[in-house]
Amino acid sequence: MYRLAAKRLLPAVGRWNPRFRCSSSGVRALAGVINPLRFYTSASSGTIPDQNPDNFDASASSSSTAWSQEERSRADDETQRSRNTTRPRAHWQDEQARVLQASLRHVIRLGWTDAAMIAGARDVGMSPSIVGSFPRKEAALVEFFMDDCLQRLIDIIDTKDDFKNLIPSHRVSKLVKIRLEMQAPYISKWPQALSVQAQPLNIPTSFKQRAMLVDEIWHAADDEAADIDWYVKRTVLGGIYSTAELYMLTDTSPDFQDTWAFLDERIRDAFDLKKTVQEAKYLAEAVGAGIGGSLPGFMKSVFNS
Amino acid sequence: MATALRLIARSLRKNKIQPLYNSCSFLHSHATSFGFKEVREEEKSQMVGNVFTSVASSYDLMNDVMSGGLHRLWKERLVSKLNPFPGMKHLDVAGGTGDVAFRILESINSVKNRALLDVHDDNLLEETKIYVCDINPNMLNVGKKRAQERGLGDNSSLIWVEGDAEALKFEDDSMDGYTIAFGIRNVTHIEKALAEACRVLKRGGRFLCLELSHVEVPVFKELYDYYSFSVIPAIGELVAGDRESYQYLVESIRRFPSQEKFASMIAEAGFQKVEYENLVGGVVAIHSGVKF
Repeated sequence: MYRLAAKRLLPAVGRWNPRFRCSSSGVRALAGVINPLRFYTSASSGTIPDQNPDNFDASASSSSTAWSQEERSRADDETQRSRNTTRPRAHWQDEQARVLQASLRHVIRLGWTDAAMIAGARDVGMSPSIVGSFPRKEAALVEFFMDDCLQRLIDIIDTKDDFKNLIPSHRVSKLVKIRLEMQAPYISKWPQALSVQAQPLNIPTSFKQRAMLVDEIWHAADDEAADIDWYVKRTVLGGIYSTAELYMLTDTSPDFQDTWAFLDERIRDAFDLKKTVQEAKYLAEAVGAGIGGSLPGFMKSVFNS
Repeated sequence: MATALRLIARSLRKNKIQPLYNSCSFLHSHATSFGFKEVREEEKSQMVGNVFTSVASSYDLMNDVMSGGLHRLWKERLVSKLNPFPGMKHLDVAGGTGDVAFRILESINSVKNRALLDVHDDNLLEETKIYVCDINPNMLNVGKKRAQERGLGDNSSLIWVEGDAEALKFEDDSMDGYTIAFGIRNVTHIEKALAEACRVLKRGGRFLCLELSHVEVPVFKELYDYYSFSVIPAIGELVAGDRESYQYLVESIRRFPSQEKFASMIAEAGFQKVEYENLVGGVVAIHSGVKF
């Protein structure tokens, strides 16, 4: 959510995940001209509290990067002075994003593996050694894809206006359908992506990404009814999304029609369930009022005697 | 006579001033420190050379004894971080006895990785080239012998080169990977070695440095210091018959820049995404950087 806010505030940042301590090493690069716009956005974005899902490090050994805030501010001055020298040094996160983007084209053939990333790196003109610098290799590729899809979904939500005409359940259904269709080209290798996401080291990040996705869908569907818990809504949608995703893996119908039918039914069930739960709650309240303060009354009499 | 006296006086004054300069310019001091002794820059290279000539034959045995076999795990970790791939051009500097190079080659040729190769990549295994560069020919000879024993003697992918880390004879942008394991401490000018590393690496190439580093963990630090200064030189005397060299070893570890400082030096040489990972609480650190 914070990242979405950051993206809306700073369009120049684009796909950038500010590990702001690491990024300063790029600023300090010898004979480097950092694109001034990027530099400023990096300096200011660093102060936005940002959840960086890719920065999770579960290994027991401690790892860290070299920069403290004071050195960054000194580096700021240096880069301003060196702005006029030689060729512009690309920001390393952009380069990594380019490699991952190129790797996606090879995924259909090679799967979500090192081999796809090596091929992607070669396409972009980088040495395949760069693959070793991604924290969890294949997971980096899968996470990049998930982020990319989420970004595309947000763009679609922002540009299309016809959601208001639909009732909430149809809105949710349409959004989930749009999102799942983005995975359709990779469907033959999607089970592998799911298994990568399910690995213990990768679970925190994949969970966070799914949470953001579900949150975004609910936010766009803009459910006014605030009866059920925020968490319950998202959990239910998370469950629906995952089951639809799994159903899609073995769906052989043209254009995944069976999946959409399955999805619609589940969403209808969920909304019906919501009404059922609401009615059950009213019933419980009524019954409770009927019984009256019988239990508190009993306890009072016990303590007074 | 007067001029001679003046020269002597000047050199004496220079020696007194030097300690002051040392505190301001730490990097300059690495070039003139041989462990805790102060030496001239020109001499340091020679003295280090002598150390390694004398320890070459028992180098691997001493590594095993001093680290309790842990150095193998550290090197494995280095290689797995590197993530070698078939067709790679890799340079292992100060890798005299070949430990890291063998591991990289074996990882590329391992059955698990071979199974993942595409049918079109048949030539890649032959294109793989691992250069082992060392300034000391004795260390290289020990390495060549070990390669024979491991069955890699005739492997065309393994190339032994005698060279200086500060002035590599390789072309610009020619290497996919550069590793230096337990070697950068012995280089006279660290910045030059780092600059050379940046020069020979391709875009996207990675620099990895495995080195003994500083321990800050409270109790463990004292134990480690005791082990370093009391136990290691004694073992050196027993096993290798050379107390002095191992005294130099433990002292040079203390004189080497801290993890953070070294990481900043790497960044200054032109690398990006500079990080380090402490192993065994800081006894060993793996620094890595990418050239873009």
